[in-house]
Amino acid sequence: MSFSKGHQFSDDSKQHLAQIIDNINAGIWEYNTTTRDIKWSSGFYTVLGYEPGEIECSNHIFFEHLLYHEDKPAFLAALNNQPASTGKPLQIRLLTKTSGYHWFESTVKKYTDETGHIFYGSIININQYKQAQIQAAHNDLLYNEAIKIAKLGSWEINTSTMSLSLSKQLYDIYELQNHVKLSLDEAISFFEPAYRPIIKNALDNAIEYCQPYELELLFRTAKNNVIWVRAKGIPIIDDFGRCVTIRGIIQDIDNKKRKNLALESSLNLLTDQNRRLQNFAYIVSHNLRSHTGNLQFMVKLHDDTEVPEERAEMFSHIKSISDSLNATIEHLNEIVKIQTEITNERTVINFEILFKNIISALKSNIEALDASIDYDFSGCPQINYIPAYMESILQNLLTNSLKYSSVDRRPAIKCYTLKERNRIYLIFEDNGIGIDLERFGDKIFGMYKTFHQNPDAKGIGLFITRNQIEALGGSIKVDSTVNIGTKFTIRLI
Amino acid sequence: MTAERAPVNVCLIDDDPIYTFGFKKLINLKGFNSKVINFRDGEQAITWIKDRLNSPDLPDVIFLDINMPNTDGWEFMNEFAEIKSQLGKKITIYVLSSSINLNDIYRAKKNPDVEDYIFKPVNEYQLAEIINASQEDNNDSKIYKYRS
Repeated sequence: MSFSKGHQFSDDSKQHLAQIIDNINAGIWEYNTTTRDIKWSSGFYTVLGYEPGEIECSNHIFFEHLLYHEDKPAFLAALNNQPASTGKPLQIRLLTKTSGYHWFESTVKKYTDETGHIFYGSIININQYKQAQIQAAHNDLLYNEAIKIAKLGSWEINTSTMSLSLSKQLYDIYELQNHVKLSLDEAISFFEPAYRPIIKNALDNAIEYCQPYELELLFRTAKNNVIWVRAKGIPIIDDFGRCVTIRGIIQDIDNKKRKNLALESSLNLLTDQNRRLQNFAYIVSHNLRSHTGNLQFMVKLHDDTEVPEERAEMFSHIKSISDSLNATIEHLNEIVKIQTEITNERTVINFEILFKNIISALKSNIEALDASIDYDFSGCPQINYIPAYMESILQNLLTNSLKYSSVDRRPAIKCYTLKERNRIYLIFEDNGIGIDLERFGDKIFGMYKTFHQNPDAKGIGLFITRNQIEALGGSIKVDSTVNIGTKFTIRLI
Repeated sequence: MTAERAPVNVCLIDDDPIYTFGFKKLINLKGFNSKVINFRDGEQAITWIKDRLNSPDLPDVIFLDINMPNTDGWEFMNEFAEIKSQLGKKITIYVLSSSINLNDIYRAKKNPDVEDYIFKPVNEYQLAEIINASQEDNNDSKIYKYRS
């Protein structure tokens, strides 16, 4: 290779070097800052896609035409700050003849002779490498972003040493700032206690039987945040089919899982409400139909009968049907009222004051039975509740206990409240005749369900009580032993 | 002819006193050839049916209500299924109810011991049909017995 005409390097050895460099598809340049003299080897032209001498070898062409404008400051800085001998190669973009800007790497060196300060260096095309690097960095970014968006961390267990390694993202899920090495047991201890045996068991199965797993578990982070995670593990086997490695991920699915759980519980609530509503419709229809059927029946018999005494008897039945119809309509009204009163304002209710009022309202019943009534509301003296509901609940429970008291002993009724965390419980106990729950179960809260031969039993009280409690998000539970007594446990809020 | 036939024994199991009164009155008024006994829940009925002393008076037809306190119609059916083979008599059971709940209707019709599901209140023509059918059955079985 020869140098282009008029551009001689400063000495023979350098010229020789330039020839060698030209042969490896690279070029060298030289620039005298004092004389502003510039030289390019023919390789320099070649790497840019030109024939030697095809473009003018000048300062102006280099800085204004070849060098990408954004790389100019870096290049000038390299020239100005260049310490005498060494220098890091500089990555710059130069305009090639036919394929636009390419990445080049250039060394920048300096020496001084009698003509002034001379910079020189070699350039090579690193475009492919640089493009690959940029692509790789971009892929890395995409990957990291995807992992971050998916809130996903990965891990690996070496089954021969049982050592565990976690990805950076997994440390983020653990909320561990310094990436301390965790043992397998330590890593498992972040799961909530109830879920630890599940994950342990899944890992054991993966190691022993090569079974993959996918679980949704509750997890407590180092910062004490409890989140739902998806834990997935896949065994990697050797040529003999033994599990040598388990790889897996842990993904934060808290948002989705909690939404799902909320959805599930509201679905259950809706299904339950729907079932009760339909049941209610059947009950209403049944009761109205039986009264109207009876009415029709009696009127017809009344018409068919000639005997005045019999007619009078039938008419008395017609009257009592009319009363029953009225009572049924009133019950309906009470049930509909539950729904309309739910929007009523809640007020702070003092249990003791209210309960004393109810006791005095039922005074004659209580005295007739010589019942003892104990109450203790110190566990929670007050509640924010709909007054009409609370009055109805307490009154129904007390009436119920009095109605189903045992004739064999003095009725003893206990009523008290408890507060646990944010929950308020009302407990109501009696020593009455009780109810066979194995036989009747939850039916006691059903409408028009009566279980005793008591003529006062209407089967409406506990139905309304349960509806009032549940309408405000509470629940009612019953324990009972026949001839020992009954205990109602009510979670009010 | 009718007078020679034995009366049909009818049993009504229903907790509603007014319906019971009307039912008996209807049978009386229309002059059906039948005797009526009634119980106000399933348990009383089962106790009576089980009692050997009552076996000559066992009913030919039972009209059974579903919604009753204590032992309801379903529980009665369960207990009846256990003892029916020891009764020595075929008893036809009709479920008689105001319930239009399809679940109740299917459940009753699925039961092999239930002849039919009748909506309350039963009218006299339906009642006449059932009692007459039962009477035919009685006579048939008598002829059969005589021949054997």
